[in-house]
Amino acid sequence: MSGRSQILEVARREVTVRARTKAFQVITALLLLIAIAIPVAIAVWPESDDLEEVDLGIVGADVDVDAIEEQLDALAVDRFDFSVVQLASDEVDAALIDDTVDVVVEPGPVLAWKDEVDPDLGFLVDSLLRQNSVIERGVEAGLAPEEVAGLLSPVEIGERFVEEPDEDVAVASALAFVSLMTAFAVPQVFGNLAMMSVVEEKASGVVEVLLSHIRPRTLLGGKILGIGFLAVCQVAIVLLGTLAALLLTADVDLPDSAWSFLPIFAVSVLGGLGIYLTLFALLGSLISRQEDAAQVMVPVFVPLMGGYFAGQIAAFGDADNLVSRILTFVPLTTPLLLPVRVARDAIAPWEIVVSLVLLLVAIVVLVRVAGRLYEFTLLHKGTRIGWGTAVKAMLRPDSVR
Amino acid sequence: MSERLRVKALEKRFGDIVALEGVDLVVPAGQMVGFLGPNGAGKSTTMRSILGLLSVDAGSILWDGDPIGSDARRHIGYMPQERGLYQRMKVHEHVAYFGRLAGLDADIAASRADAWVERVGLSERRDALIQELSVGNQQRVQLAVSLVHEPSLLVLDEPFAGLDPVAVATMSEVMTEQVASGVAVVFSSHQLDLVQDLTNHVTIIAAGNTRATGTVAELRNSSPHRILAVQWQGDAPDWVPPGGAALPGRAGAFTVPADSDASMLIAMAAAAGTVASVSYEPPGLDDIFLELVG
Repeated sequence: MSGRSQILEVARREVTVRARTKAFQVITALLLLIAIAIPVAIAVWPESDDLEEVDLGIVGADVDVDAIEEQLDALAVDRFDFSVVQLASDEVDAALIDDTVDVVVEPGPVLAWKDEVDPDLGFLVDSLLRQNSVIERGVEAGLAPEEVAGLLSPVEIGERFVEEPDEDVAVASALAFVSLMTAFAVPQVFGNLAMMSVVEEKASGVVEVLLSHIRPRTLLGGKILGIGFLAVCQVAIVLLGTLAALLLTADVDLPDSAWSFLPIFAVSVLGGLGIYLTLFALLGSLISRQEDAAQVMVPVFVPLMGGYFAGQIAAFGDADNLVSRILTFVPLTTPLLLPVRVARDAIAPWEIVVSLVLLLVAIVVLVRVAGRLYEFTLLHKGTRIGWGTAVKAMLRPDSVR
Repeated sequence: MSERLRVKALEKRFGDIVALEGVDLVVPAGQMVGFLGPNGAGKSTTMRSILGLLSVDAGSILWDGDPIGSDARRHIGYMPQERGLYQRMKVHEHVAYFGRLAGLDADIAASRADAWVERVGLSERRDALIQELSVGNQQRVQLAVSLVHEPSLLVLDEPFAGLDPVAVATMSEVMTEQVASGVAVVFSSHQLDLVQDLTNHVTIIAAGNTRATGTVAELRNSSPHRILAVQWQGDAPDWVPPGGAALPGRAGAFTVPADSDASMLIAMAAAAGTVASVSYEPPGLDDIFLELVG
């Protein structure tokens, strides 16, 4: 059996055995549920009625209260909710003082306030009065009310932005944040799985039987491939669930940068898995007991945490800051920073190319080095192996086998 | 009988610790060799070296007369001392998986796994998870794993440890069948009576080097001692043969030099009291073992 077939065989075992565990199934189902539930909840949740209620008083005998209320509500689409009441002249002051009404239109016309003017409300009522006045004059001049209303209808005015509109920034930041969380959490969760898988094989002694059939780097390659595949499946299930829920429930306009973001995001997830699964598996080979895992994980957590914090700043603040730009080129943080900066449309094409090439080179080098280290560390039992000892053993010339 | 495996002057150090310093071992095809030694003697290290799991500092390992390589190692079946099984895999699935890793096509691996699961008596537990099996049954699975690719050499590290008599019988039968079909088998064990029941060929190592190798009869006859065992009628007299010493824990048994005159010793014993029975023979494997490693 070729090394490639053995890698696939090891990968297949990792996938089938882990995918049928209740833990994996339950976690995947929960994540999917959450991914679907959030957009659905946002869609079905009743929107809060944040219109400001306004009581408008009008002094006069022949006032069509309903018509005025309708006119005002049409003018104040998402700002005020008007209730119009008819008042006698001598009721105005008392109604304003005891807050029965917010403003009163008196003959003149005059707007009566309690003790201060609400400019927005004043502007709105003033607009209505002017509009009605124009209509009256138009009718007096022989025009039909509809003709006057047609003359008063607003002109459609377009919009142009010299900077990214706030709405697009919000969507881009949301995409950046989702990618950051994915790039931060997925390598950790599945890296831990890879690590525990290695420790389990060492602790149970099954590694001896495995290595009597296959080479250590083949075992490592199969493990990374299998667990990486599981991770990609889980991420894909969750993302597809989210996408489906969004399409069915919400009207989301994705900014243009989203479409260049998706392939970069996919490559970053794969790259992150490649580099971190290798590292976690290698760390697992340094120890013989699961209890010792915490001792060896620092070298992996430092870049992950650093990348995460820099990613937060890039996602919600200046995405082109110096730290983010530098960390984009560091292979251990590229998977976190690159999709964030792409989502924010704050990266030059050459930066994308260079960072991805560096990431690919780093993965190839790491897998080769890890394969060599793995040969020494995998059969070691007892106390944890120091990095120095492992590297020395790796550099030692081959002895007889 | 052709030599399947020859280990010559193997040396291995772990830092300052000398694990092997001159281990020799020969395993002919179609023969079973007991690889004996006290704990820490270097048995497992030698076996791991044969499998290529450890590199050695000096010495050589030959397969059919040539230095062993990865191709030859594919023909080895291995059962490590620490039973290596995936606890969350099913019995049949586990055996077939290792068959595929060893290079068998999926169909062949599956049918061989079927056959071996049945042979080791686990047909009814075919789809049970390994973690649901007793230690003895897990060992049966381990044996099936080591045999599924039909190896030419079986390397079994403590195959009988922790087994009940039924499992010991199954294990012994399978090993004997393999030898009869031409497979070379080397196994380590501390159960010397079991070793003697299974094979005449043993290699004894201690402190990382080979102390003796040959048939059990050869080793016994090459001992510088003999065992004189006398049973008297009534109370045993206070008698010790000239040049001999009482064997601790065995009443009436004495170790004497191998060149002693047996008939004279028996006559002297008879003069000391009324002898009910007497035997004079080379020491057993237990005694030889203690002589060599003690």
